[in-house]
Amino acid sequence: MTMRLVRTELVDSREILPGQWLQSFHAPALASGTRAGQFVHVRTGDLSGLVLRRPFSINTADPVSGTITIHFRTIGRGTEWFTSLRAGDAVDMLGPLGRPFEVDSRSRHLLLVAGGLGMAGVRYLADEAIRDGRQVTLLFGAASARDVYPSSLLPDEVEYVIATDDGSVGHRGFVTELVPEYEAWADQAFACGPAPMLAALARLAAGRRDRLGVARLGRRRGAGRTVALGSPAARRKAFLQVSMEQNMGCAVGACLGCVIMGVGGAPQRVCREGPVFAAEEVAWDSGW
Amino acid sequence: MKAKRRVTTAKDVRVAARRTPTVRKVKPLLGSAPSPSASPAPTRARSVVARPIAAHDQPAPSVAVDLSVDLGRGLVLTNPILVASGTFGYGIEYGDVVEVDRLGAICCKGTTLKPRIGNVPPRVTETPGGMLNSIGLQNPGVDAVVDKYAKTWTGWRTSVIVNVAGESVGDYVEVVRRLDGVPGVAGIELNISCPNVGKGGLQFAIDADAAGSVTAAVRRATDLPLLVKLSPNVADVRPIAGAIADAGADVLTAVNTLSGIAVAPSRQKPLLGNIYGGLSGPAIKPVALRIVYEVAQIVDIPVVAIGGVTELADVLDYLAVGAVAVQVGTAIFADPTLPVRLVDELAEECRGRGLTSHRDLIGTALPRKPGAPSAKGVEYRP
Repeated sequence: MTMRLVRTELVDSREILPGQWLQSFHAPALASGTRAGQFVHVRTGDLSGLVLRRPFSINTADPVSGTITIHFRTIGRGTEWFTSLRAGDAVDMLGPLGRPFEVDSRSRHLLLVAGGLGMAGVRYLADEAIRDGRQVTLLFGAASARDVYPSSLLPDEVEYVIATDDGSVGHRGFVTELVPEYEAWADQAFACGPAPMLAALARLAAGRRDRLGVARLGRRRGAGRTVALGSPAARRKAFLQVSMEQNMGCAVGACLGCVIMGVGGAPQRVCREGPVFAAEEVAWDSGW
Repeated sequence: MKAKRRVTTAKDVRVAARRTPTVRKVKPLLGSAPSPSASPAPTRARSVVARPIAAHDQPAPSVAVDLSVDLGRGLVLTNPILVASGTFGYGIEYGDVVEVDRLGAICCKGTTLKPRIGNVPPRVTETPGGMLNSIGLQNPGVDAVVDKYAKTWTGWRTSVIVNVAGESVGDYVEVVRRLDGVPGVAGIELNISCPNVGKGGLQFAIDADAAGSVTAAVRRATDLPLLVKLSPNVADVRPIAGAIADAGADVLTAVNTLSGIAVAPSRQKPLLGNIYGGLSGPAIKPVALRIVYEVAQIVDIPVVAIGGVTELADVLDYLAVGAVAVQVGTAIFADPTLPVRLVDELAEECRGRGLTSHRDLIGTALPRKPGAPSAKGVEYRP
């Protein structure tokens, strides 16, 4: 589905955690035809001198009610402005943007890993996977219990495992420490969160094949055939896909503001080549 | 009606004397196609899927308004609303969200001789009323740009002006040579003022001799219309603008971004990967306005204004201080449909005032006698 400018209307706005908001918007044009991993670029109020839109992952999309939700933390005047919206207020969104997560059709067990606000990046994929009859385990990491995403906002079918830095709930430590327990179970993994978390996951994923001796996905069909870097097939064949974050300008690939370094030494636009990348497409140690 | 109309300014006679006769082919303009301001829906091959959010319903025009702008050497724009380099990619990125054929011109992303990977991120951040960027001239190099985009550009009614950057006079000349004669390339905009790249850019823009010599060298290398973009990061821009005009530039673009920095939220380092960035957006409008005002009074070539245009009032302000056209940049990120809407609003403004052209709005705020000594004696310059 090609991007378009959509006039949406706020339906509901809730502070689900301290400083974290979940808002739903009536936007039939975005609620159907978008896929997990894609995002919208949302315009803020004009009066405050804010010149940039704000990118938000599509947190959930419901074609039946024609609504999408976004989940964000208030970190500045832009996000504060969103919290002042009331039901019925009009909001201008550009979307859907970016490339989605690609789930291999043979993957039955999906491991989702989210750090903090990274939940917004993988939340929609849980819905899609369950709709398609896959099993989903969601590992979630936060600083402490007060920042833990409420399980009531997740589908019942999801196995939800929590890690907190202070041990106030669930595993004490990083969410990445939970991953080895699931790496044999999972057919594919999908992650969103702070860059160090994603880099740690990428290191874990890189050694997985040798450790487990698992057959390569796609061995029968197209064995030995190379897939183009950045193609949907490259992501589909990857064990780990990550949703990346970067300061963003235009969100359509024009300004080259939101780049990360790719393995080939070429900058990759998070808004256009991403935000979802196969872990092996990202040059994690480039210093970018 | 004759297709080509020139911008009439107080200095028109002298401008005419300077102009080189047109030998280059011009895209079909007013003569063959209906003027965009006069026709609400010119036929286009491209399908328009997305309706702009605030779709501007054009009233049936009672007076035909001519918004065309002659920038010299055969570069005649259908209207004075351009999109600024670096904010509109190569014209294709916004897809069907923007009707590119209705833009006055597109200044494409800065292009260099060799590919450049650009600066370490973060590259952009929002600031009060503006944004800082330090892209670092990431681009695939001039040959790749020509291969990839020129063919698309030839199919557009809108002129594409290629923004050119370099680290030496030789770089600039070579890039321009490779663009010369390429169908789809309507003009060159020299970026001699990009504040982001440590090695290139800035030296030319801050020194009248350097700015003049690079302009002269490029002028010898091409007959394409030549725009040169001024840097605001100088004490007095007038000697530099004068040197560029004397060296044979057809148009001055004013201004590029202001040099600035932001601090990371941790307060432990500057925010941008490159430390320095270029400030753009409404925050710089008064500065750009001042520079256009100063430059328009001392050069005989057209000045295209750029800096914080977000609404029609900004366009009118820039015209009033002597600009013949404006570039829209940062505002596109928030409102991609703004430039096309400004075209409609400007035509409507002219119609409302009973003008047949926006040319009557140009230079109205300039001193009556250009260059006359100030009546107040010594000018106060804060």
